[in-house]
Amino acid sequence: METYVILRRSGWDDGAELAEAAERSRAEGERMPDDVAWIRSYVLDETDGRVGTVCIYQASSPEAIRRHASEAVLPVDEIVKVVDTVVVRPDPVPTAIDQGGES
Amino acid sequence: MATVVPDDHLLERGDANAQLDADLEHARLGVGRVVLVGGEAGVGKTSLIRSFTTRHESEVRVLVGACEALFTPRPLGPVYDIVQGLDHWTAETPGTDAERVRFFGALLEELRSHPTVAVFEDVHWADEATLDALKYLGRRIDSAPSLLVLTFRDDEVGANHPLRTVLGELPSGSTTRVSLAPLSPDGVAELARRAERPAYGLYEATGGNPFFVTEVLAAGGGDIPETVVDAVLARATRLSDGGRRLLDAVAVVPGSIEIWLLEEVAGGDIDDLAECLASGMLTPTGVGVGFRHELARLAIERSLTPDRRLSLNETALRALAEQPAEQQDLSALAHHADAAGNSEAVVRFAPAAAAHATAVGAHREAAEQYARALSYHVTEDAERLALLDRYSTAASLTGRYADALEARQEAIAIARALGDRLRLGENLARLPQACISLGLNDLAEEASREAIEILEQLQPGRELALAYAFQGYLRMLSRDNDEGVRWGERGLALAVEVEDPEIHAFALNAIGTSHVMAGRIEQGREYLQRSLDVSLEQGLHSRVAAAYSMLASGLGEMYELEASEKAAHDFIAFAAEHDMDTAYIRSWLAATLVYLGRWDEATAFAQELLADPAVSAISRITALIALGRVRARRGDPGGADVLDEALEVSEAGGHLQRLGHVHAARAEGAWLAGDRDRTFRDARAVYDLALEKRHLWFAGELAYWQWRCGELESAPEWIAEPFALQIAGEARRAADAWNARGCPYEAARALAESDDEALLREALDVFESLGARPAAHGVRQALRERGVSVPRGPRPSTRENPANLTARELEVLGLVADGLRNPEIAARLVVSKRTVDHHVSAILRKLDSKTRGEAVAAAGRRGLLEDRQSAEPT
Repeated sequence: METYVILRRSGWDDGAELAEAAERSRAEGERMPDDVAWIRSYVLDETDGRVGTVCIYQASSPEAIRRHASEAVLPVDEIVKVVDTVVVRPDPVPTAIDQGGES
Repeated sequence: MATVVPDDHLLERGDANAQLDADLEHARLGVGRVVLVGGEAGVGKTSLIRSFTTRHESEVRVLVGACEALFTPRPLGPVYDIVQGLDHWTAETPGTDAERVRFFGALLEELRSHPTVAVFEDVHWADEATLDALKYLGRRIDSAPSLLVLTFRDDEVGANHPLRTVLGELPSGSTTRVSLAPLSPDGVAELARRAERPAYGLYEATGGNPFFVTEVLAAGGGDIPETVVDAVLARATRLSDGGRRLLDAVAVVPGSIEIWLLEEVAGGDIDDLAECLASGMLTPTGVGVGFRHELARLAIERSLTPDRRLSLNETALRALAEQPAEQQDLSALAHHADAAGNSEAVVRFAPAAAAHATAVGAHREAAEQYARALSYHVTEDAERLALLDRYSTAASLTGRYADALEARQEAIAIARALGDRLRLGENLARLPQACISLGLNDLAEEASREAIEILEQLQPGRELALAYAFQGYLRMLSRDNDEGVRWGERGLALAVEVEDPEIHAFALNAIGTSHVMAGRIEQGREYLQRSLDVSLEQGLHSRVAAAYSMLASGLGEMYELEASEKAAHDFIAFAAEHDMDTAYIRSWLAATLVYLGRWDEATAFAQELLADPAVSAISRITALIALGRVRARRGDPGGADVLDEALEVSEAGGHLQRLGHVHAARAEGAWLAGDRDRTFRDARAVYDLALEKRHLWFAGELAYWQWRCGELESAPEWIAEPFALQIAGEARRAADAWNARGCPYEAARALAESDDEALLREALDVFESLGARPAAHGVRQALRERGVSVPRGPRPSTRENPANLTARELEVLGLVADGLRNPEIAARLVVSKRTVDHHVSAILRKLDSKTRGEAVAAAGRRGLLEDRQSAEPT
């Protein structure tokens, strides 16, 4: 498995639509655990008023990412391979994991 | 008096027994399974199966076949054992590929008509024809209310063992694996308790291996033997001298020995047989007696002095040779002759055994028998020449090309020395077969030329026909298309005259492919279709594969994509019926799907192939090219890596059909990555060769990339029309030409080269719908330079991408959703059940589902089942 960044720009009308997509994504990911592992995402406030995401995934190939997206009905704009991770400061926004529960 | 250990109550096999019982129950509901029972020698696989079949013998029919521990087992031996148990078996012994498939089909019908447990024991020793039978039955068992139980020594089946491939091809959904472990210390202690003997040290010495344990317990005595062999020998010493000698006689015949034969080998006196049976060292078998376990037989056999072994085998040989011809077991005769060191008998029986093996498709055993004969017949005379010839052919059929080459070259040397010009010519004509598979093209050329030279001076016959046809094939491979036609036609004419259908089909293939490569598509297809027809008619399955192969790959290479795809699917269906390999065709299908713009399907095929280490280099290259092109066109990572690998692998062969394809793909990848220098370098790398061979499409694409780099002076007028139009600046006409071939990406690329805003917008739409990010970006850039900004359109819903199911697949899916089973769907659509099975598999694959229910759910989620006509019969 390699690490990839996935850009899904302006993929949804609003947070509610995104939340539905997130659930599909999670469910689909469980059906192909050896092919994709969703690590984290940043939700983007797009200039056209919609929301998008930057997602970090581990995957067996870019094609696995696309298969996952196709099944979960998610857009894929760009896939880029990650060769190194440099963490300078912890994430400013506490995540669900940090808070020890669902956000 | 030796102690017999009762084994009526198996220890520590509760789970395994429960699994077998459950699988049988499942099977009896109509959906059969394969049960693979694996474990080391002596762990009790046979005991388990025996207790299982005894438990159920009143409910189901039980058939058993055992594979022999022979270097060259009797081909289809265990299958023949199995059909002995059938009442109304009428199928004839197969003599051709087609007959073999019918034979297997008849056996399958028996399994379908009556709930059966068919056991094949020790399949790690199975001959090639039996392995084919297991593959055939295993892949179709789910349509029968029966179980196919295979036992094998899993520790002896390494990565290169032929059984491994067969196991890998069994459908996982209908296969159960049961792995038997040795006994635990408690289990060993229990066996000791039952034998009323001490358990001390027994587990440590035996590792819990049940056979070893029972041998030690039966041997008695104070010391525990160190190895199984010692244990068996210790037990054997408890017999009288006569009994011990009888064991020797039984030991030289693997499996079991018939009583009449035992009498002969033992020199007439078998009074002590009762003692051996009572001691448990020998047991009665269906046809005679045998050792309780192969390990015991081996132990005794190895303890024979060389003299005794030779003389016992000699006696067995003589006795067996006296049998009437139709009852003779040729592979047993060859085996005993070899073990007796009887050269004359080996040379008499081994080739006969080989010919028989070839007839039933056990090519590996045939090759081994010829090799055996060759090891005895060392004089370099006409007989050795004949053996080398046949050995080489058999070795080629099993993929041992290096051995085939060596043998063929020795045959050539002998023929030269003997001055036998006909044999010399014939063997030279056949040498290219092995050479091509090893990539030794120069050697192939030399041999082909000399063969023709020599044979043309003799009376024309099938040898010369073959030589001409091979020359045509070689010329086609190097894309000297007109020469390929010329030589092929000469081979064809002679093949028709001498009425050899195989050479006839071969020649038609060479001619047809040459025409296709020269751009004479219709003519080429006609010849290839004729080759296919002749091969189907005559049941020449490897020629059928070759015809489909050239149709799919040749037409694909010439961008006749719809025809190529159809040929690929036709072959895949045919191959499924006949358990043939489809890797090469699938690699071409992947490439074809790239050009048809069906990128998800293309990458799925490519990755499946690339994940299989057994796939040939040629298939690998084409799969890598397909994957590389898609990644480059999408702007996904990993494109350059796979195209680098493709180059590495294809440089070894140096052939245009690989290098041209690879460099064209690399030029495209480099261009999309913005590297003009590299684009030019790849485009030039093999351009001259493409021009020399007048390859319309490779020359066309390579010229195109040079043109994009601004470095093309002029291109020949004969290059492929769409590329020629692009280079001439005719964007709209070029796009139309591409669309006529079904290539949306290439059409959009042509439009993107124009100045017209409307055409650029059209190109952008296509690129965006395909997900071609780099190309779309380039067009947006071009539009921006014209002062036109194109906002991102509404995101295309992925509902418009129905997992790339074809119209037919959507139709079948609808019927599945309505609850119809495959046979009903076949009836409804008026197609064969096999076709429906094929569609359902494709649907499951494309929707990434394991079951029909999952697929229907996935389809529902994606809106694929809406807007459907209701499923009423029309």
